Amino acid sequence: MKSADLKSILDFSAFRSEPDDPSAAWKKRFPSEKTVFFGIGRAKLTWREISRSGNPSEQESVRVDPKEGLAQASDHIKTLTEQGWCAVSLNTRYVISLETNLSRRPGSEEMLKSNPRAVLGGKFERGKRYAVTHNPETNSSILLTFDEDQTRKTEAIFSEAGFRVGRLCCGAYVLLRHALAETNKTKGSEQPVSSFYIICCEGAVCALVQDQDRWLELRSRTDVYEDDVGPISDLLAPFQSRLSPAIQITLACDEPLPGLSERLAEVFPGREISDLTVPGLLASLMVKN
Amino acid sequence: MQITDRHIDDFKSDRKGITPPLPMVLRLVPILFYGSIAIAVILSSLFFLQFRLAIQKRDGHKAQASALNAERDESKTQRTALEAQIKRATDIQNWVESSRPLQPLVVEIARSMAQKSSIADLQLERMPDDPSQIRLGIKIGTDSTKQLDLTMEKIALLDYRAFSPTREFGRGELDYKAILVRRSSKQAAEEQPPTAP
Repeated sequence: MKSADLKSILDFSAFRSEPDDPSAAWKKRFPSEKTVFFGIGRAKLTWREISRSGNPSEQESVRVDPKEGLAQASDHIKTLTEQGWCAVSLNTRYVISLETNLSRRPGSEEMLKSNPRAVLGGKFERGKRYAVTHNPETNSSILLTFDEDQTRKTEAIFSEAGFRVGRLCCGAYVLLRHALAETNKTKGSEQPVSSFYIICCEGAVCALVQDQDRWLELRSRTDVYEDDVGPISDLLAPFQSRLSPAIQITLACDEPLPGLSERLAEVFPGREISDLTVPGLLASLMVKN
Repeated sequence: MQITDRHIDDFKSDRKGITPPLPMVLRLVPILFYGSIAIAVILSSLFFLQFRLAIQKRDGHKAQASALNAERDESKTQRTALEAQIKRATDIQNWVESSRPLQPLVVEIARSMAQKSSIADLQLERMPDDPSQIRLGIKIGTDSTKQLDLTMEKIALLDYRAFSPTREFGRGELDYKAILVRRSSKQAAEEQPPTAP
């Protein structure tokens, strides 16, 4: 045992999660430390400070290439963090798809990160990283495919700017999981849920149709919208004819989008819209988990 | 259906050297460590205070002992002075006792002589060591020892006792030597039989 180990035990740091430990929640990794949460779209960079108590502040943004934006604003953003730790929501170069008959053996989700070929079989692609959410009632799964090269580039950009990336995630996928978890809370199939999930995050849109617990259709696009929410309704409008009358709408956005609910009400007349969106929702989820 | 909102999938490149946090129960180790230090400090403080109090008590006892010793020495000095005074008083008493005039003794010895007896020689000397003791030397011209008994009775009436008597009798002359010691008034009272009420 080294003296550093003894010191870490005596100052209790050995009992806390390391800052770069991905298995621990953000709040446990950075107790009483200011961090920054970044959102990256195709031509947009957003950021917000996470206070010592874990509360996200007001969002700031620049509408330029993220690399340039980071270079321009890094001096200002660095003042928002104490040791440069940040979390990044990357919303480009990913695919969310609906798959069937993926392996669900115990430990398969962990194995998906270390040896995705063993889990995905023929669906595996070299140079990709994966995450999966299984439907416990059917054999369908939501598969997130991330470009490994893009993640490495993003890490390099932030490292060059003097930041330490503690987490790199897909915001749209996190919001989709959150929406699913908020609506599907009852174990078993006695109270099946039917909903049309609409996820909006940094210009990316993801739509999932769930009918009687069955995932029927999923559509995911990046760089759909900027300020105008019209492209979102245009993308989602074709679903209206395919949705059964009992299906309600569940909306979750990283930030409230003005006019989106009204637009959706026009596109999907007669359907109840349950809006889970609150200011700083994605940042709050990132801190909580 | 139930879907849990578990951890966020992280796509960051693999970390190296990340160790999981130690189990919470092992927090007892540093807690006990700091607790033992705190207890040691508290006990040391208590022991130190007790030590200081003990030193103060010891110094107090020492001071008390010194005061008592000084008092004892003073008492000794007073006692020595008192004893010296007693000795002096005793000496004075002895001197008073010894300074009694020899005249009554001589008169009684002379009056004790019968008609056929005579004093050939009479010596009365005070002892140099104890003036209360008198060395008696008498030569009586007599033909029997009755005269000597009579004389000694008269001397006894004056509260003198004879010690180490020697007598020689020959050719009508009795040579008697003794040391006369006068009884003190206290001794005389003790020896005197109690009178009937």
